[in-house]
Amino acid sequence: MSTGLVPLASTSQIERTPSREDGIPEDLEADLRAYGCKLIHQAGILLKQKQVAVATAQILFQRFWFVTSMKQFGIGDVGMGALYLASKLEECPLRMRDLINVYDLLLQQTTHSLTSQLSTKGKDVFKYAPMSYFGNTFYDLKDALVVAEMQILKRLGFNVHVVLPYGTLINYLRVLGLTSHKEACARAWGYLNDALQTPVYTLYAVPTIVSAAILLSSRHLGIPLPSTPPNCWWDLFDAPWEDVWSVCGYIMRLYRERSPEDQLRVAGMVNKKDVRKWLEDNPGACMPGMAIT
Amino acid sequence: MDAVERANTERQKRWVKDQKVGEGTYAVVYRGREFATGRKVAIKKIKVGQFKDGLDMSAIREVKYLRELHHQNVIELLDVFSSKTNLNLVLEFLDSDLEKIIKDRTLVFLPADIKAWMAMTFRGLEFCHRNFVLHRDLKPNNLLIASDGQLKIADFGLARDFTDPGHKMTCQVITRWYRPPELLFGSRYYSTAVDIWSVGCIFAELMLRTPYLPGETDMDQLKTIFRALGTPTEEDWPGHTKLPDYVPVGQFPRTPLRDLFTAATTDTLNLLSKCLIYEPRKRIGAKEALHHAYFFALPYPSHPSKLPKLSNNTSSRPLDEVDGNVDMNASGPGVKASAPNRLKRKLSSPGDELGGRPLARRLDFTQKRS
Repeated sequence: MSTGLVPLASTSQIERTPSREDGIPEDLEADLRAYGCKLIHQAGILLKQKQVAVATAQILFQRFWFVTSMKQFGIGDVGMGALYLASKLEECPLRMRDLINVYDLLLQQTTHSLTSQLSTKGKDVFKYAPMSYFGNTFYDLKDALVVAEMQILKRLGFNVHVVLPYGTLINYLRVLGLTSHKEACARAWGYLNDALQTPVYTLYAVPTIVSAAILLSSRHLGIPLPSTPPNCWWDLFDAPWEDVWSVCGYIMRLYRERSPEDQLRVAGMVNKKDVRKWLEDNPGACMPGMAIT
Repeated sequence: MDAVERANTERQKRWVKDQKVGEGTYAVVYRGREFATGRKVAIKKIKVGQFKDGLDMSAIREVKYLRELHHQNVIELLDVFSSKTNLNLVLEFLDSDLEKIIKDRTLVFLPADIKAWMAMTFRGLEFCHRNFVLHRDLKPNNLLIASDGQLKIADFGLARDFTDPGHKMTCQVITRWYRPPELLFGSRYYSTAVDIWSVGCIFAELMLRTPYLPGETDMDQLKTIFRALGTPTEEDWPGHTKLPDYVPVGQFPRTPLRDLFTAATTDTLNLLSKCLIYEPRKRIGAKEALHHAYFFALPYPSHPSKLPKLSNNTSSRPLDEVDGNVDMNASGPGVKASAPNRLKRKLSSPGDELGGRPLARRLDFTQKRS
């Protein structure tokens, strides 16, 4: 079903996300969203899952945080649930145990990177300790997975229709005569995938996002395209310039230099209990009262 | 309580559950009504956390497609809400299904009635296909009949989209009697033609008042088809001997449809034969079928309200009407009154794409049979 409308977040949802209402600052929320999507992506690669399922999972994951606070659900659990659900939706279901093992590995890696960076002894090599077959870790993660899958469906009101941008990108590249330009195609494709770590797929229509990916590639590679009014190439695709520019901003923000503290802060908040603890330690970080008025 | 919970409670209040009408494998079905209007609905409560694989694949497919498909001849998903740990689907309530009507020997079908049911089936199916959804389980008991006579396609538990033409799909779909030969030969790349074959079988069943191609096993199904329509030659169906599960099942001569369907008009048999063409690419499409001369010839289709109805509606089993996935041992009304081959008819063998693991739990019926 490539036609039909895709649900996008409303202005009020964008202005005050549930997480921000709970006192989580905007930049932290963005970092946590991106990190959750990275975990989904990594898990997808390790599971050799199809990219359509991974992309669908990331979009469902992004949508979820417009109706739910990160204080209530952890990005790890919800990411795992999103990948599981998306795999069913795209008819390439995963085994629960495989998914849980992969997430366990990724979370252990995260913990390891945290502790090795905090300790002064220097870096020790990461060694994965597999969970026991009938151990509590497995059953806890399994419960979390079942709950997350259900919560995503329920909170998204069963609207699980997702439009992926890849087909549109190929059409647009063809229209612009760029299909023979390998580097431009690869770059634009990459930007679309990276954009999955940002909320843009829940904020803008696919043509706008695809135009932004083409804009970024053409600028980085110095490919001239008609860009002076009234002859602007993005007008062909009904993509408003302000929106295209905003999407570019979202994508480029992903690549900015991050301090080790910022990275650590995010890696330490994969679970909701860590988020709650951070909120207790940092009261008033976001001034929720201000936003509500 | 956050905004989501509040909205959910609001929605929940709109509907009233009246009485449990049956228990399926992944859902419990209630008869209910809309609080404000008293409109009858069926509420399907999906059991959660009980299955080791999370939500059942059929439930997910059903929700995914019914949320998007809205058409007069497709069952409507009115609302979705959750209560505690369960999910509830609110579906429109329908009185009966085509299987029950076919079986009710007190009813007489006029050619115009059959034409009306066929037109509604093709209209609903054309809509699904136009939106790139394959139903993959068409059979008379999945064609529900509303009180105003409208036919609605239901049970999207096996449906899937086919936007990706080269995509490998499972061939373990569609209830055996309605399954096309290419699936029986193990074809993994197929399209809308599979649904058309099923409609052809239903068309024949409406005229015969008994299943047209009732095979006992998958092998026997092929034999049954070939006995009725002749063994296909390489010319009829190029390349069919190269299909993964191809086995020669013997040579049967082609008998004209006319021999069996003695009272049917030429247009009728022409459309039927086009639905049952062996070569899937030559089989008629839903849209093409709607433009077939059959639908424009006299007699014109009956008005839905004039179609034969079940004489005794109270004995109908609402459970059937929302879901084929029901427990046949349920003690709902109407079950015991069924014909002896009732259980057999319920047989469906949809498998899953993972191999081995039963995804669609309707498979359970197969086990009960032995």
